[in-house]
Amino acid sequence: MFSYDFMQNAFFVAICISLLCPCIGIFMVLRRSSMIGDTMSHASLAGITLGLLTNTNPILGAFIFTAICGALIEFLRKYFSHHLDLILTIILSLSIGTAITLISSGKLKANANVFFFGSILTVNATDMISIAVLTVLSVLTLYFLYNSLLYIAYDEEAARVAGVKVDFINYIFAILMAAAVSISIKIVGVLVLSAMIALPVASALQLEKGFRTTLLCSIGFSLLAMVIGLFGSYYLNVAPGGFVSLTSVAILLVVLIIKNIRTILRRMQFSR
Amino acid sequence: MLSIEHLYFSYQGQPPYVLNDLNLHIHSGDYISIVGDNGSGKSTLLRLILGFLTPVKGSIKRDTNNIRYVSQKNDFSHAGFPITVKEILDSYRKLLKIKDKHEVDRVLELTNMTEFKNRLISKLSGGQAQRVSIARALIGNPDLIILDEPSTGIDRKSQEGIYGLLRELNQVHHITIISVEHNLEMALANSTNIYHIANGKGHLCSPEQYASEIMHSTGRNPMDHENCACFTDVTTQAQAQAQAQAQAQAQAQAQAQAQADDTTTEEVRHV
Repeated sequence: MFSYDFMQNAFFVAICISLLCPCIGIFMVLRRSSMIGDTMSHASLAGITLGLLTNTNPILGAFIFTAICGALIEFLRKYFSHHLDLILTIILSLSIGTAITLISSGKLKANANVFFFGSILTVNATDMISIAVLTVLSVLTLYFLYNSLLYIAYDEEAARVAGVKVDFINYIFAILMAAAVSISIKIVGVLVLSAMIALPVASALQLEKGFRTTLLCSIGFSLLAMVIGLFGSYYLNVAPGGFVSLTSVAILLVVLIIKNIRTILRRMQFSR
Repeated sequence: MLSIEHLYFSYQGQPPYVLNDLNLHIHSGDYISIVGDNGSGKSTLLRLILGFLTPVKGSIKRDTNNIRYVSQKNDFSHAGFPITVKEILDSYRKLLKIKDKHEVDRVLELTNMTEFKNRLISKLSGGQAQRVSIARALIGNPDLIILDEPSTGIDRKSQEGIYGLLRELNQVHHITIISVEHNLEMALANSTNIYHIANGKGHLCSPEQYASEIMHSTGRNPMDHENCACFTDVTTQAQAQAQAQAQAQAQAQAQAQAQADDTTTEEVRHV
């Protein structure tokens, strides 16, 4: 299987996704805004179509458009501070409206359907360079902003008192979200991309460990889901997006079952 | 330490003001409790002091930037957050760019929380979680700690522990404390001064004076602090209302009496 170039490319991208998505996802989940991931992934479709229309790299198009949408979400928070759901509806309307208009116009220079479900066949050398650059830059930014992002999620006011420029970092985080979405669309696809952002974190949260351990476990679960998903996609000849998503749900179920069994065993020991 | 002069604030940026010509001078070593009814503007004043809000008019001058804040958090706000006590403190130490790694152990020892170092914050009781917040506020030896209702959601025994700790920090370690309070009993027992906000006006007095004002307002003791602007306002309003009610009652009685007299006269004529 690994003798094929496309599989090597797919696994390289899978590692990048497994590393970046949970790193972004953990902050989104803890800020109770994981649905932003879903909106951003749908917004990326508009970026892809714009990229295909202008004959530029669709990943780059997705990154730029999604970053603009992320910044727009932060900007609109000032006007709809208690209505995040409303902001997401506005962004979804803008992006899906753009995508549908462009796709239905018939003027795109390539087929956009492959981005809906993901494909392991379509990752080329240019995509790999874009994905590698975005991943390295994003991980480095996350490394330097780790404590600030952690405190904005945990206690935003305490972070402000400590001198953290919360609004500025929120805009940078929006760009990081855009990066995570754009590197994932080729393999995972637009429709189930949020599964890679939220589900590994959901599984890791069940372990009830500290922040660093939860983050590392999220990356581990994400990697496991990607590897199993790609193998399944290759051998069953199905779209990787769907299978990776199903694997993520299965991992969460297994973690929940193990947790419940441990709780029951502990209760039994306690009652003796 | 902190000087507030002719402070006006409203969320619309124009009258009517939530805070109307507030003046407050806090000196190093003070322990000030800010009290008042819900919606009186206590937390707004605190947010102005912290710089989260900007005054419409007036000024807030601070001699130090070494200020920490303990926000009003309940158990729910930490529910499910996967973070240990050590991670909370160590991350904050790094945010403040303090290089000494022993700082975390020092503040844990000060707050008597060393044994909970590796526990998840969500597994701690309300009182223990509040101690962690205070420990975090102590990182880097602050000059001023600002607290927003530190006893919210905490049982009485833990409250006594928390206020004992705050008193110790104030008296032994000479840290200035400003605390927005709804817990009057603890505020009166621990503060050096009480700042009472009512009807947009503020008034600073000693805990003893404030205690007597409370006794007056509940009718159990005559008011012996006549210069208190906020209470005078409240009292004047209450007196005016009572007078208006008495006048209305008197008028109603007079009308009823007049009607009764008319009826009697007509009955006499008829006969």
